[in-house]
Amino acid sequence: MHENKGNVYSLYKCRVLRVYDLTDDVKLFLFRFEDPDIAEKWTFIPGQFVQLSLPGYGEVPISICSSPMRRGFFELCIKKAGRVTSKIFELKPGDFVGVRGPYGNGFPMQEFEGNDMLLIACGIGMAPLRSVFMYALDNRWKFGNITVINSAKYGKNLLFKKELEAMRDVAEAENIRIIQTVTRDPDWPGRIGRAQEHIRYANTRPDKSYVCLCGPPQAYHDIFTKLIEHGYNPKRIYVTLERRMKCGVGKCGHCIAGTSTFLKYICIDGPVFGYYDIISTPGLI
Amino acid sequence: MRYVKIYNEKMQEFLERLKNYGKLYAPVKISDKFYDRKEIDDVKKISFDCLRTIMPAKKFFIPPYEELFEIDIENADYKEKIEETEPFVLFGLHACEIVALRILDGVYLDEFPDIYYANRRKAGIIIGLSCLPDEYCFCNLTRTDFVDIGFELFLHELPDGYLIRVGSPKGHKIVDENPDLFSEVKKEDIDAFKMFEEKRQKLFKYYGSFDNIRYILELTMKDKIWDEEAEKCLGCGNCTMTCPTCRCYDVQDIPDIDGKHAKRIRFWDSCQFRSHGLVAGGHNFRPTKKDRFLNRYICKNAYFYPLGTSYCVGCGNCTYFCPANINFLENLIEIRRGINA
Amino acid sequence: MKKLKIGVHGLTSCYGCQLKMASLKLAENIEIVYWNMLSSKGEIGKVDVAFVEGSVSTGEDEEELKKIRENADILVAMGTCATHGGVQGVIFGEDYKKCFKEIYGDNNIEFDGRIGEPIKKYVKVDYNLPGCPPEEDEILYYLATFALGSYPEEKDYPVCAECRRNGYPCILIEKNKPCLGPLTVAGCKARCLKYGIECTGCRGPLPHNIAWFDSLARTFKERGMSKEFIKSKMEIFGKQYENMEELINKVFE
Repeated sequence: MHENKGNVYSLYKCRVLRVYDLTDDVKLFLFRFEDPDIAEKWTFIPGQFVQLSLPGYGEVPISICSSPMRRGFFELCIKKAGRVTSKIFELKPGDFVGVRGPYGNGFPMQEFEGNDMLLIACGIGMAPLRSVFMYALDNRWKFGNITVINSAKYGKNLLFKKELEAMRDVAEAENIRIIQTVTRDPDWPGRIGRAQEHIRYANTRPDKSYVCLCGPPQAYHDIFTKLIEHGYNPKRIYVTLERRMKCGVGKCGHCIAGTSTFLKYICIDGPVFGYYDIISTPGLI
Repeated sequence: MRYVKIYNEKMQEFLERLKNYGKLYAPVKISDKFYDRKEIDDVKKISFDCLRTIMPAKKFFIPPYEELFEIDIENADYKEKIEETEPFVLFGLHACEIVALRILDGVYLDEFPDIYYANRRKAGIIIGLSCLPDEYCFCNLTRTDFVDIGFELFLHELPDGYLIRVGSPKGHKIVDENPDLFSEVKKEDIDAFKMFEEKRQKLFKYYGSFDNIRYILELTMKDKIWDEEAEKCLGCGNCTMTCPTCRCYDVQDIPDIDGKHAKRIRFWDSCQFRSHGLVAGGHNFRPTKKDRFLNRYICKNAYFYPLGTSYCVGCGNCTYFCPANINFLENLIEIRRGINA
Repeated sequence: MKKLKIGVHGLTSCYGCQLKMASLKLAENIEIVYWNMLSSKGEIGKVDVAFVEGSVSTGEDEEELKKIRENADILVAMGTCATHGGVQGVIFGEDYKKCFKEIYGDNNIEFDGRIGEPIKKYVKVDYNLPGCPPEEDEILYYLATFALGSYPEEKDYPVCAECRRNGYPCILIEKNKPCLGPLTVAGCKARCLKYGIECTGCRGPLPHNIAWFDSLARTFKERGMSKEFIKSKMEIFGKQYENMEELINKVFE
């Protein structure tokens, strides 16, 4: 999908179709490409991101959080953080943005097929993992047991809280377990504690599982330790990383990370990396 | 490879004729010590002993400032600013500079080709020139002291002229269209060429294999040398701006005062600047001066797999143009101490 | 499009920044609510953006500044006096008292004179528009982003970046000139360097504690400059930078 009239930086016009409030500072936007041909053809792999532009404001990388099976539409989960995202936050249905992509490697979904999947999200990390989850639901027969652990500091910060809660009981019958947990919220009626403390409740079989992890990098090492303690195979643990890409196509250098034996552009070599890449490369997280 | 010779008497005419192929840019002296590649009117002003220009050749392909799009804000319409690039001739590029351009090619012309770069690269005619290293050069260690491709013509100094290697169809065309300028290479020219190469090889400061530097660098990242050297650093970014392979850029939308239009520009950025490692929400992946300082050593010494060399081409620009006298090569030699090449 | 309401104010200063701004052609989408230098009409009232030139050098300045702040959604410190105290900020402590007495003697002075200080010492500053005076393109850029409902990206890199992008010779390396480019926030396109004149730092030291007075002092020292000379150069626009003296002293221990 890189046939942007020969210019990789050219943008496709997209219209905002719907806006949903997820938390105080995160909204979910449903977009559609204006050009019906593009809308028809455009697809992506869960874990990939787009570069989203607001004319006059700038451009930002955003992970896609919908399933690629829903052709013609895609959803972005946007947290109010900077110049561009604060403005996107104000957009209403009918407004336009510019989009290019998808970029990045995405999760190796085909490799996951036939296996269980454990998805661990901390905070805003649920955004890219929702794409994996939705894709798995759309292709339920391809995957084994699935557990989603969605965690945040407070109940009000849990992304897709209602959506996940609503499907919990039905999901259980389909061998899908949904665990939502918070760390600091005394009023939260559900589970308490960090994501890693709930790995034990997952329905995934460690020896038959792939793990996808997204959250603040500081949490990664501790989660790795817990996963390995529970018997998960380090080779099958994937994480997704974040940087402020200016180009998304391995040019601008803003996302270069790693060390001299493993220097990577997160935008094209990632954002999804394996466990061994992470532990052997200081500076990646 | 095809080889021809040009005698010194014909060099001026050769340079004049190069203008037939496009605007001619060559090194000229811009101040007491510094050179830069400028458009040439009078070919007698061209400097043949210039080793390094304050603006590397990348400036012709990735300009310091560039407008990417004209934006119509109300209609969310982005009009690309791509202009046809007239052919131009870059004269006097040394081997390291040509390898540097090939590294930029590997980055800018990959599966997501940058059309702004590609157009200029197509228009550029590269004429290489041999050189004798000074104390800052270490292209022998980075294995970038000789190039096989990436130029139209490459001129090797002889006592009475130049031995020319023809490196591309465009190079052949220049030779074929100007038969009066070129002669055959004779036995004594080959001897002279060998003598020049011999002399050149003896002038380098250090010898040996440098390929293991990237491991040694990783193993010594906690050494105190990095604290001491980073302490000296001014954070001015001269090293990256004058580096022929540093290619980081930043992008900004600049709205017009009327609020109807904007332009999207890009401009040279540097990993030595604070904002380079910032992400949304304010986290900085390189929060300290030392993080930024070390980042350049890591990035330059990493391998660029398509070429099998490091991103550093051993030109010595970063040391030559450092106001704080921080010596890139000596720092690497220091952490490598114990290995006798 | 909604008009952007602005106020332009001058505390103690030369009014050069305002003059620069006054020379620009502003578009119809900008409404000037208060600009005393251009018109005596109007009062300090509610505005979207207030641009404040000058340093707080009198009690009246402080009162006026607080009133401006209360009435502005966004407050921009315009020019080096407002952002860093400016040249007048160089006189400190006992020196200030001596200086004040020399100039005004024992006359009954009606105003409450103070050491010139950056306005951030008194009120919250949202954005800094550096320069002495600020550059035209930057003033327009700031105004345009505010008018659009966005905000400007402040530069956090030194003049050297622009000097290199423009291909000027580095006179610190070449001529041992005491160039303050490495400390000074970019935006001027290295105008002085274009003419071979060293940067005096008129745009003020870099924000976010990345003005490395110590490293530059060491570089100057290695080039044979004395501590007194280095200090005299650096303090013209950097005197009010936190721990400037400490950083220079460190190099001469």
